[in-house]
Amino acid sequence: MSTDTDADPETTSAATSRQGDGARTGGGIDLKRVSLYAVVAVMAAFYLAPLWTGLVTAFKTQDAFFGTTPLAPALPGTEGFTVRPWLEAWAALLPGIVNSLWFTVPAAVLSALLGSLAAYGLTNVDWRGQVALLVPFVAGVFIPYQSVLVPLTQFWNWFPLPVGGLAELAITHVAYGVPICTVLFRGYYLTLDEEMLEAARLDGASIYRIYLRIVLPLSKPMFAVALIYQFTNIWNDLLFALVLAPPNAPPVTIALNQFKGSMVNQYNLQMAGAFIAALPTLIIYVLFGEQFARGVAGET
Amino acid sequence: MSSLTLDHVTKIYDDDGEDVVAVDDVSLEIRDGEFLVLVGPSGCGKSTTLRMVAGLESVTSGEIRLGETAIDDRKPQDRNIAMVFQSYALYPHMTVRENMRFGLEESTDLGDDGIDDRVEDSAGLLGITELLERRPEELSGGQQQRVALGRAIVRDPEVFLMDEPLSNLDAKLRSQMRTELQRLQEDLDVTTMYVTHDQTEAMTMGDRIAILDGGRLQQVGTPLECYHEPANQFVAGFIGEPSMNFFPVERDGDVLRGDGFDYPLPPEVVDRIAAGAGDDLTLSVRPEAIAVADGPGERRFETTVDVVEPMGDENNVYLQFPGIDGTFVAVVDGYERVERGDTVTVEFPADRIHLFDRATGEAVLDRSLTRETAETETGRTI
Repeated sequence: MSTDTDADPETTSAATSRQGDGARTGGGIDLKRVSLYAVVAVMAAFYLAPLWTGLVTAFKTQDAFFGTTPLAPALPGTEGFTVRPWLEAWAALLPGIVNSLWFTVPAAVLSALLGSLAAYGLTNVDWRGQVALLVPFVAGVFIPYQSVLVPLTQFWNWFPLPVGGLAELAITHVAYGVPICTVLFRGYYLTLDEEMLEAARLDGASIYRIYLRIVLPLSKPMFAVALIYQFTNIWNDLLFALVLAPPNAPPVTIALNQFKGSMVNQYNLQMAGAFIAALPTLIIYVLFGEQFARGVAGET
Repeated sequence: MSSLTLDHVTKIYDDDGEDVVAVDDVSLEIRDGEFLVLVGPSGCGKSTTLRMVAGLESVTSGEIRLGETAIDDRKPQDRNIAMVFQSYALYPHMTVRENMRFGLEESTDLGDDGIDDRVEDSAGLLGITELLERRPEELSGGQQQRVALGRAIVRDPEVFLMDEPLSNLDAKLRSQMRTELQRLQEDLDVTTMYVTHDQTEAMTMGDRIAILDGGRLQQVGTPLECYHEPANQFVAGFIGEPSMNFFPVERDGDVLRGDGFDYPLPPEVVDRIAAGAGDDLTLSVRPEAIAVADGPGERRFETTVDVVEPMGDENNVYLQFPGIDGTFVAVVDGYERVERGDTVTVEFPADRIHLFDRATGEAVLDRSLTRETAETETGRTI
């Protein structure tokens, strides 16, 4: 005991450098923990800096933007502070947000639903040639957007939909989303208790009824995963939108892109617009966050 | 209610181009209202047989009939069969009531009230009425087991199929459920096919037992028939706990010469040995037939005690012939004082031995049963 309390700072720090535990019993600072927190703090700062910069920029006037460093905020009440960019961006983006919702919501729901159905048929129902059909589904996950742009535009030029370009965009996203959704749901359906599905068959339920009454209700967490994933992907997509969206009904990503001026960049407007455009995906995460976590963890 | 007939049923799996025979030419009749236990070691084809009856596996050849009607090309849902699974297979997102309603909703056109009446009747029968609004995850293993039974009973099927329904329960609950299940089956009088690997369950629950090994039916009979008159060495070793003792012997006229002992056969036993039996035999005697003797004599052997397992009212004693490796087991009275290293003289009574052909495993001599015991013990008159 006495050696511990008697130890002067020099010997304590010497002990610390020799072995970590010695420092803790001596009431000193755990170096391991300190360095861990330091690394965490640096990484947090690194990842949050762009977000922070964007946020403070969105509240600055154009003059304040040029007159201050990007990280310094303009405080409310000071000359450089303004909410105008938010109002302007909101007004400019609102039609785009509506357009985007028009095709994103149906496309996300439909691709999740079709993916779930396909996964059920390929996983829990027994028939010949399943693997042969599963292969193109899996392959579909790995086809990059860029590689299909030309055939895609040709296709929709040959078979244009009378209801307009947003529907074409929705169908394209559904077709593109079904493979990944199928793979997601299949992983989950492989873990379903086979005896339970057999029990349902013996109970007199048809394949379709088993899906509707047993598999679908048990898929809720997986639907949260698929919906969040699909919604985010489709909402944020610019490439298909540039090629397929009708000029009179641009999605939010195109509307946001148009904030990029030809002569002067209004960074505050662009930043506010970016935050507003990201808002719906944030709301979806908050709404389905708990189910999402359970789905990812593979719970039911 | 009807009988269930398996007529030369065979199941062959295709395993990467190689044919695997899971069930080989099994013929079996389960009478109306009978409780038949299908028992065998794991991989013997008993579950496959059950699943073929349920319609969850196709039949490669042969026919399955319910009453007079062939059912093997019907879908599972059209067979009027209910099954209880080892994992209980309850629907986790439904309450107990919904679990029990499901089958009636899917397979009958009963109205809401009719379904509720039947669910509540069955729940009452099983004592799970107070669990009706709970979900499976809130139930103990024993309660889930009851719900699984309830889900089968409520459908009032022609046949119950049970696939090791008690094997997930702890020992105490298992023996309790064994009795309860038997009583329930007697009350409901539904033809039942019950699969287990546990010979105790087979012995205690079945009206008759069918023993399966390697996909082939070894013997069908009442529990006591299978116990006293096993058709072959496999059945003899499988039924009974502890297992029967087997000694390879050469028959030399009236004497069986084994490793470390000679066993003289009395004339009345020699007369009963099946005609045409070879000389390479297996002498078999149940542990409970071996008697501790108080002195030397014919068919008595001096042995050394290797291990004693006290069971309370009796002891399982593992014995060794002097100088010979390998033990055999005898069940002796619990009050008998035996300890490791003791020398004990035991007798293999001549009327309690079995002989099996060593090459084929077929029985060539059963233990003798007097006429009275034969009738009551083997249940032939039942």
